[in-house]
Amino acid sequence: MTAASDSTPVVSPPRGYWSEVWRQFRKRRLALIALIYIVFLSGVALCAPMIAGTRPIVCKYKGQIYFPCLAYFNPRWEPGIFLKDKFRQVYPKNLKKKDPESWAVWPLVYQDPFRRIKKDEWPGQPENKFGMEGVPDKHNLMGTDQQGWDVFAQLVHGTTVALLVGFVSMGLAGLIGITVGALGGYFGGWVDMLTSRITEVVMCIPTLILILAMIAILEKTTIWHMMVIIGITSWTSIARLTRAEFLKLRESEFVTAARAIGVGEIRIMYRYILPNALAPILVPITFGIASAILIESGLSFLGVGPPPPNPSWGTLLNSGRTNLQMWWLILFPGMAIFLAVLAYNLIGEGLQEATDPRLKEAGR
Amino acid sequence: MFDYLVRRMLIGAVTLLFITFLIYALIRQMPGDPVVALQAEQDPSRKVDPADYQRMRVSYGLDKPWPIGYAQWLGKLTTTLDLGRSFTHKKPVWALIRERAGPTLLLSLTSLFLGYVLSGPLGLYSVVRANKPDERVVSTLLYMLYSLPSFVAALGLLYVFYQRLEWLPLRGIVSDNYESLSWWGRVGDIAYHMVLPVTCYTYGGLAYYSRFIRANMMEVVRQDYIRTARAKGVHPLKVIVVHSFRNTMIPMVTQLGLTLPTLLSGSVILEQIFTWPGMGRLFFESIGTRDYPVIMGLTLIFSLLTLAGQLLADVLYALVDPRVSYS
Repeated sequence: MTAASDSTPVVSPPRGYWSEVWRQFRKRRLALIALIYIVFLSGVALCAPMIAGTRPIVCKYKGQIYFPCLAYFNPRWEPGIFLKDKFRQVYPKNLKKKDPESWAVWPLVYQDPFRRIKKDEWPGQPENKFGMEGVPDKHNLMGTDQQGWDVFAQLVHGTTVALLVGFVSMGLAGLIGITVGALGGYFGGWVDMLTSRITEVVMCIPTLILILAMIAILEKTTIWHMMVIIGITSWTSIARLTRAEFLKLRESEFVTAARAIGVGEIRIMYRYILPNALAPILVPITFGIASAILIESGLSFLGVGPPPPNPSWGTLLNSGRTNLQMWWLILFPGMAIFLAVLAYNLIGEGLQEATDPRLKEAGR
Repeated sequence: MFDYLVRRMLIGAVTLLFITFLIYALIRQMPGDPVVALQAEQDPSRKVDPADYQRMRVSYGLDKPWPIGYAQWLGKLTTTLDLGRSFTHKKPVWALIRERAGPTLLLSLTSLFLGYVLSGPLGLYSVVRANKPDERVVSTLLYMLYSLPSFVAALGLLYVFYQRLEWLPLRGIVSDNYESLSWWGRVGDIAYHMVLPVTCYTYGGLAYYSRFIRANMMEVVRQDYIRTARAKGVHPLKVIVVHSFRNTMIPMVTQLGLTLPTLLSGSVILEQIFTWPGMGRLFFESIGTRDYPVIMGLTLIFSLLTLAGQLLADVLYALVDPRVSYS
């Protein structure tokens, strides 16, 4: 704020565009609940190793402080000393045995998403049951799968995958879609012709064959490859909307004014038009996150995703498909996928209504 | 209008050329080839004799680089409309597609019909009772159905109706004793196998269409001519059904064009779960076995239908809404 504007009497400060959108969005209770749920899921994803795991969150071992739980995010972060001392991932007994002075803070639930808990690993906790026996009980809150791996731990760790898939793939799709749409909408003419044709071609390609072919070419797929592939196949609706917004805004007075004072083309596009077009563009991005989660879990469900161990909700659901009588393998991961998709759809809808007061496109 | 159609079709042809070229390039880059995939399926322990392998590759036309393979495929298609022969099924691709299209159309047409027939009354109901408690409950439920992935629903339904109640079959399109049944018995048998797949196919579309109708009608209801009709004493039900619903049909008609490709492509996941011998399953299998002619044939048909559907939607739009014209 400059001194000049400070001295002018302001009765009620004009609301900015974004705060107006937020005010509209907040009015929709369901959309707000959905947003809170996604924030909660992000919390679960970030704290997954602290909620369910077999590695201590913090421990003191031979006079040093370690955070072994971080190894769940990246196996290479497992402190070397535990490998050297042959812990073999069984911490509770080994910590006491090899250093009686040690102490540790443990996760809320002593279960592992990638292996079966054996007998006497944790005081008072029996060996994990497996197969038909693995019904939910107080040790395995959501039961165990055929191999005796805890379902709750897999779900909690799978949250990271689901959320990352949504954000990374749609981040990429947004980047491509906004760039392509902005170029076409702003420059018009042959650029628009070209970008529109490209968008059309990508729209007409059967997405599944594109994804399956790319996965096959990669041979060793990781979850990151999946995100990139989903991202580069699902940017078309974003591009179309961006193009429409840019077509509309490039004729507006503030753009003419900017051009008159000699602002560069790229700068006009990204500093002048884009901020004003961003809120409606967020709508297809949000719906896109929902469908990205759906695609990833669907592919994992079909068994074409990354090879195990892949703690994806879809993989878990796939094991329920071959063992229909194990209802807990269907109910819990199914609910997790459903709720995440529902939440993103609700947020998308809330945004749509908040950015379009006439509700014109509400049904489309 | 004629000029417009010709232009669209020319652009469409170029688009098709692009798509098929891209897909051909991609699938030929996939590791492995149909000979190896076929061998692995029949007897994984046996090694392929190198001479045999070479001979089979030549007979499949795989010994040449892929751009030439694409040119040959395109040449055959444009001169004789031939899509080639399937490597794994040992029959022409067209015959294979005809065989598999039936089961898929059986599911998709039934569910399209059910979706349209049921969503009309549901949409009308939610407009008439707009924002009343019962309508809110129904709409929320429909919205939740819309977000429920079909494969989750399929597994849940299978658990309840197959595993628990043992009312409905697990998979397939006919029972083992199908051949011995009478004609009506066969129809009943297929219908019995169709219940679960059709349910999973339909509910999402039903939720989508009824929301679509509601959203469009809520907009129409606010128009002046509706107020006029109400003011001159037209029966409230007639206002909704005759005056507003008919105008809501405009966007519904264009929707029909956009569903065209999905009618034939089916749903890979649902056909996979229910082991339904349709197009989606054929597609999925052919990628696994590297059956290039089948993949290409299906790609061509799916993208052709997508393009035709878009064109149909635009043309229908101009036909039902006099304000739109392309001349």
